[in-house]
Amino acid sequence: MHREISPGNPNPNPNPNSPMPGFCYFLHALARIQQDVAPQRSPGKKGRRIRRAAYASMAVAAAPRRMAWSRALLRRLRRRSASPRRKTITVTRKKTRTERQEDELRRLVPGGRRMDLCSLLEETGDYLQCLAAQVSLMQWVARSISE
Amino acid sequence: MDPPSLVSKESLPDLWALPQATADYDGGGGGGDGGGMLWTRSATAGGVPMGHNSFFAAVAGRQAAASVEGSTVTEQSVMTRGGRKRRDSGPPLVAASEDDSSKLISSCSGNELTESEAKRLKADGQREDGHGEEPKAEAEVNSGACHKRGNQASQSSVAPKQDYIHVRARRGQATDSHSLAERARREKISERMKILQDLVPGCNKVIGKALVLDEIINYIQSLQHQVEFLSMKLEALSAPTSHSMEGFPEDAFDTTSRLAFNNHPPPPREYGQGSSEWLHMQVGPGFKRAAGS
Repeated sequence: MHREISPGNPNPNPNPNSPMPGFCYFLHALARIQQDVAPQRSPGKKGRRIRRAAYASMAVAAAPRRMAWSRALLRRLRRRSASPRRKTITVTRKKTRTERQEDELRRLVPGGRRMDLCSLLEETGDYLQCLAAQVSLMQWVARSISE
Repeated sequence: MDPPSLVSKESLPDLWALPQATADYDGGGGGGDGGGMLWTRSATAGGVPMGHNSFFAAVAGRQAAASVEGSTVTEQSVMTRGGRKRRDSGPPLVAASEDDSSKLISSCSGNELTESEAKRLKADGQREDGHGEEPKAEAEVNSGACHKRGNQASQSSVAPKQDYIHVRARRGQATDSHSLAERARREKISERMKILQDLVPGCNKVIGKALVLDEIINYIQSLQHQVEFLSMKLEALSAPTSHSMEGFPEDAFDTTSRLAFNNHPPPPREYGQGSSEWLHMQVGPGFKRAAGS
């Protein structure tokens, strides 16, 4: 799953040649979050920041491939708060099981709402790989911290 | 928009690794009927081709059968009719490569044949099908499609054999471009489902589109939950808490972290649902569905 980067495009990632740029980003963000010794007002705030950093690092890591999900994820993260969902007016009819599953998949994959099925599946594959890598990275960090 | 480039690039080495026409037909999959066999026979009659270019050159040069010539020109005319539209609207792999390969054939015929042979081929095609679009195809040959060939060498070598199968197969059956495009789309979807099946662990044994989709959805949800859980775990690990976390199994750790945030409901998913600003849009409904079913 490799795509060529067209030269003129703005690249949010400063060093695309390093193997896991987004994951370095995650480690930096984690260090910054942990050094932050502000009094914790709400208990889950730090966890939310870590999660935001995790998703942002995933999106940054996938940015050179120019996948739609990473752009959608970054857009959502930059918005900082839950935006009102766009309501789509649809003709109500009984959906088949596969259609319901497709909707489910669209909900799960960032930016999947406005995709056709082909690109949705492609994005899903890429997103899955990144998510799995992120999870293993976080597991590794957790393990190495706790040891 | 170039999503098919991904698939086609992946399948590229396979195609190049199979110089023999018969081997390609084995890999080509459904849709290859008697027409495919005709191509195979003509290819072997014209000497065993070593690459696609030489294959086309051999076929076009020897003019093995009259029907082969006819089909060449028919492809060109058909593609000038319907290919453009299909390529614009999220190009199916087959349609795009059909277009390319028709160009490749025309370029080969312009390149390697003598002038008279090329003209004879064109004339034969015109006699045989006499479409209104025929001048277009000719213009393509005349206007030095050889130059295009250099640019599109990587593209046109993508799936040259499979489109012949499709072109030949559609003679008997559905001729309209819609059903062709639909067939190509279905093939592309199933191909991607196969790729996804390889990515999701334990999904290889599952048969059926719905079940595979279920597996994929569950896997994504579990990964997202894991990200959430791990971020909480990292938070708890970084927090200067009194109790040590070392050596705890995950379940035990889960309870301690839950005790740490005692103003939240117990399961971590619920916690995420209640507190997250944006993730619960993703995770929440899926979890409800999974819990409901």
